[in-house]
Amino acid sequence: MKGMFEDTIIAVSTPFGSGGLGIVRLSGRKSLSIAKKIFKPKKNKAKIRPLRPILGNLYHLGRKEFFEEAYLIYFPQPRTYTREDMVEISCHGSPVILEEAVRLGIKAGARHANPGEFTLRAYLKGRIDMLQATAINDIIQASSYKQAKISFDQLEGSLSRKISSIRSQIIHLLSQIEASIEFPDEGLRISIKQIAKTIKDAVLSVKKLIESFNLGKTLAEGLTLVIAGRTNVGKSTLFNSLLEKERAIVTPYPGTTRDYLRESIKIGDSLFTLIDTAGMGRPIHPVEKEGIKRGKNLASQADGILLLFDASQKETPEDLRLIKKFKDKKTIFLFNKIDLPQKMKKVKVQNEKKSWSALEISALKGTNIDDLKEMIHDLFVPNQKQEEEVVLHLRQKLILEDISNCLTEAQRLLEGGYPEEVYSEEIRKSIPLIGQLTGEIRTDDIIEDIFSRFCVGK
Amino acid sequence: MNSTEEYDVLVIGAGHAGCEAACATSTMGLKTCLVTIHLETVAQMSCNPAIGGLAKGHLVREIDALGGLMGLLADETGIQFRLLNRSRGGAVQAPRAQSDKALYRLTMKNWLEKVPNLTLFQGIVTEILIKNNKTFGVMTLEGNRLLSNTVILTPGTFLKGVIHMGLHSYSAGRANEPASVELAENLKKIGLKTFRLKTGTPMRLHKDTIDWRQFKPQPGDEKPIPFSFRTQRKLENKIVCYIGYTNQKTHEVIRNNLNKSPLYSGKITGIGIRYCPSIEDKVVKFPHHQRHQFFLEPEGLETAEIYVNGVSSSLPLEVQKEILRSIPGLDQAKMFRPAYGIEYDAVLPTQLYHTLETRHIKNLYLAGQINGTSGYEEAAAQGLMAGINAALKIKGGKPFLLNRHEAYIAVLIDDLITKGVEEPYRLFTSRAEYRLLLRIDNADKRLTPQGFKLGLIKEKDYEAYQKKQEKIKKAMHFLQQEKMINEKREKISLKDFLKKPEVQFKTVLEYKKFNERLSDEEIRHVESEVKYEGYIKKQGKEIARIRKIDGEKIPESTDFREIPGFTGEVIEKLAKARPKNIGEAKKIPGMTPAAVVNLHIYLKCQRGKNHKK
Ligand SMILES: Cc1cc2nc3c(=O)[nH]c(=O)nc-3n(C[C@H](O)[C@H](O)[C@H](O)COP(=O)(O)OP(=O)(O)OC[C@H]3O[C@@H](n4cnc5c(N)ncnc54)[C@H](O)[C@@H]3O)c2cc1C
Ligand SMILES: Nc1nc2c(ncn2[C@@H]2O[C@H](COP(=O)(O)OP(=O)(O)O)[C@@H](O)[C@H]2O)c(=O)[nH]1
Ligand SMILES: [Mg+2]
Repeated sequence: MKGMFEDTIIAVSTPFGSGGLGIVRLSGRKSLSIAKKIFKPKKNKAKIRPLRPILGNLYHLGRKEFFEEAYLIYFPQPRTYTREDMVEISCHGSPVILEEAVRLGIKAGARHANPGEFTLRAYLKGRIDMLQATAINDIIQASSYKQAKISFDQLEGSLSRKISSIRSQIIHLLSQIEASIEFPDEGLRISIKQIAKTIKDAVLSVKKLIESFNLGKTLAEGLTLVIAGRTNVGKSTLFNSLLEKERAIVTPYPGTTRDYLRESIKIGDSLFTLIDTAGMGRPIHPVEKEGIKRGKNLASQADGILLLFDASQKETPEDLRLIKKFKDKKTIFLFNKIDLPQKMKKVKVQNEKKSWSALEISALKGTNIDDLKEMIHDLFVPNQKQEEEVVLHLRQKLILEDISNCLTEAQRLLEGGYPEEVYSEEIRKSIPLIGQLTGEIRTDDIIEDIFSRFCVGK
Repeated sequence: MNSTEEYDVLVIGAGHAGCEAACATSTMGLKTCLVTIHLETVAQMSCNPAIGGLAKGHLVREIDALGGLMGLLADETGIQFRLLNRSRGGAVQAPRAQSDKALYRLTMKNWLEKVPNLTLFQGIVTEILIKNNKTFGVMTLEGNRLLSNTVILTPGTFLKGVIHMGLHSYSAGRANEPASVELAENLKKIGLKTFRLKTGTPMRLHKDTIDWRQFKPQPGDEKPIPFSFRTQRKLENKIVCYIGYTNQKTHEVIRNNLNKSPLYSGKITGIGIRYCPSIEDKVVKFPHHQRHQFFLEPEGLETAEIYVNGVSSSLPLEVQKEILRSIPGLDQAKMFRPAYGIEYDAVLPTQLYHTLETRHIKNLYLAGQINGTSGYEEAAAQGLMAGINAALKIKGGKPFLLNRHEAYIAVLIDDLITKGVEEPYRLFTSRAEYRLLLRIDNADKRLTPQGFKLGLIKEKDYEAYQKKQEKIKKAMHFLQQEKMINEKREKISLKDFLKKPEVQFKTVLEYKKFNERLSDEEIRHVESEVKYEGYIKKQGKEIARIRKIDGEKIPESTDFREIPGFTGEVIEKLAKARPKNIGEAKKIPGMTPAAVVNLHIYLKCQRGKNHKK
């Protein structure tokens, strides 16, 4: 197989328009040397070190002026997805910039990857088996550094550990049932209760893993936070203040934010998409009306709300209505304009929804903005230990859901009084599914388990 | 002296494999000679006096459905019958019977003597005669040359057999019969790779020296169920087995004497059966168990010998006696024959085709224990298949191969050949992917038409089979058409009613009358068909899908070296076998499911590429 893939390939690895950040990936022997031709670290003497994101600029070959700021991470072989040297360049997610970065890479000696070629390489290098290769075709669309790291760790890391623990749970389960079927004379009374409990435990672990998919998604795509509130409470000001640049148009007159604005921000290691909506007060202008409608939609789909109040004014019915509206969302009360004399009965407002966190800020003066960031991080980034981090791909999630369905069906049949060989059939169905996630389960694995756990046979 | 004689087929070894093989070839019209060391031990049960059990009972039914002997013989010589797993569904029910060992042997010999075209001949084979990679007969120790272009080899545990009792050991094949040392050497010489396996057997005790009050009786079924679809007469239980337990004292004796065990002292190097652990194994592997179960099984009606199922051992005689003394009820027991362990050569079954013909010597077939299996039923099933395929080859017919979803026989043979064997192989129902399809109640439906076509099922038996199928069809129609009102006041078919786990066919008949009487056998079949219907349909679809994939062609131009993830070994195997499609690739020894998937996807990728061009 040597020599099959001498060349270094490059491609955009985030879907177009998927968010604020884009990633261009290189794989092959010359990944780093090609990358070095188009990327220069900001700090002149900074060295590119494995697995360390480094800030720099992308340059056209031979030109002095850079055209885009970017991060670069170098992943030395063999512990990479393709088992080759890999480089990831993260820059602005605009398709134009991404395509340009790829074009530069090609000029510097890379070849444009064929669709799925990264996965193919991973497979060809024995990095993953074919089942996984096809399953993970929708692979790793990293858009935050944390995600990038997790992606690269996950095949060997926590995911496979978790799946293999589910695998052994299922083997144990089956060996219990099968032993009682195969050796009816050995007096291996199986307790239906015991089996039911084991199935339940297995379902639970599968479900837990499925849930972690959402975390994976979060890390991959970033959570969406919507800044909501009446017109003129300071939403756009807060938006800018969080982004630390003048992006939204701020005016002292209501209704300036006509549409919504979207930006990516990084808080800690995590990526958020921040959305500034038009005010939620009474619409005045038809154009604004449209913006508000969109804003409302966005708010209902958001992962979290920053609900802003103008604390220099008395609370209005509209303020209270908004609290109700977002009662099922993860929300933070933000009492803005604390630099001004305070008129709002904040305690009363807060009592409307006691479970939400609250913070007093001045968006204009930047007061407590760091505290806000911290609060956002604490509230929205699931606090998982490093080794617990697991990212699932959609495919893996679907397989796990199938497994969960098999087990749940087994549970139902068991409770419905069906005999062992029937509900065991459902559990057996999960065997090839597990095989698609991790090493296949051979009947010998089950038989081995039977004979190591039960003293049967003549 | 060099007498020579010509046969169409030579079968070497009249064990469970050899008898089926010889009967099949001769019934299929070929002049057959069955050569064996002693004609007194034809179809000897080397170990326990029982046939059947889970998966094994399934095999016997399949052998029977194809026209083999084992089922009929087990019914004929059975002295206690039980259907196992009665409380479960039809797919995991299987018959088991205690047989009268002597009667089993004599009846088999008697039957074989009457088979046309078949000659029984006593002799010790020492050499397989080969010319141009093709066999043409065998040589015997007595100096006789037997000529035939087809040889089926079924020598059981005799190849270089070594019996162990404590640290003492000696050359023997089974219970002091002579080991086949020359033949074992010869097999190596002709290029077959062999390996060592081990097994063991418990002691036999004198019936009158056991205090039976100490044990719990285990009687046979009230209404015994025959193995054979062709057995008409009513079966009768003639004996009772008993259940007992070892105790802490027994275990202490064993632990104190492990240094005298050939296994634990490292003297035996062969790989033993996990599935039939010796009492030493049990005590060592499960130290927390307070006791181990055993069964006391009579070896026959005309003998006082009692087989102690569960206490096989290769400890020395003195220790065996001490073990007995530790068990109330056996403390006074006199031993007829001590337990012993045996080591023997087996041939790596990956050197065979699915027809059981060896890959490098034409017309040489291997069946039974020699292929690394263990058990009478496993041996008989292989013997039958080897016989059928040898006969078909001679007659110029297509091989008779079964798929894994069609029969346990296929699961067995396919496992042996594609996965190989590291320890004595025993069949389990969980080895089958489609367990709910492979039942004792439909073995005839699955296989009897084929048995008939092969000429192994007699005309009148086939007619009976067809009649049964007609009746079942009618019953299924009845269940489908007739409706009833259930407790929820819904109108449902009787079939849907029968699907409930607690409902039986006879419950259904309380609601509507069916104008034909079904036998218990037929009822079991109908119940299974109905209760498993959902699975049967789904699995049918799955099988169709797999068949489609199996049919996918592998272009001749395929360079297997290009296929990712393949080891040099797999590449070599593929290059040598040159499979024409995925199904053929699957059958190559050592092809793991993962490798097959790799191949399949690689081909798909290639097709995709060619498309683009
Ligand atoms: C001590 C012992 C313990 C066993 N324990 C178990 C157990 O616990 N569980 C289990 O499932 N199975 C057990 N078995 C195995 C079981 O007996 C075999 O699986 C089964 O009998 C195999 O059938 P077969 O036809 O392959 O060989 P066998 O039944 O062994 O028959 C082989 C025949 O070949 C003949 N033969 C051998 N060499 C020659 C030759 N050179 N020339 C002519 N004839 C020859 C022999 O005389 C014999 O008749 C045990 C066997 C033994 C000996
Ligand atoms: N004093 C003070 N003024 C603020 C603060 N935040 C926003 N404003 C002012 O309030 C007005 C409306 O702000 P804007 O961000 O456009 O509100 P929006 O309609 O909610 O987007 C502007 O004049 C801001 O300068 C604050 O914290 N303190
Ligand atoms: Mg605004």
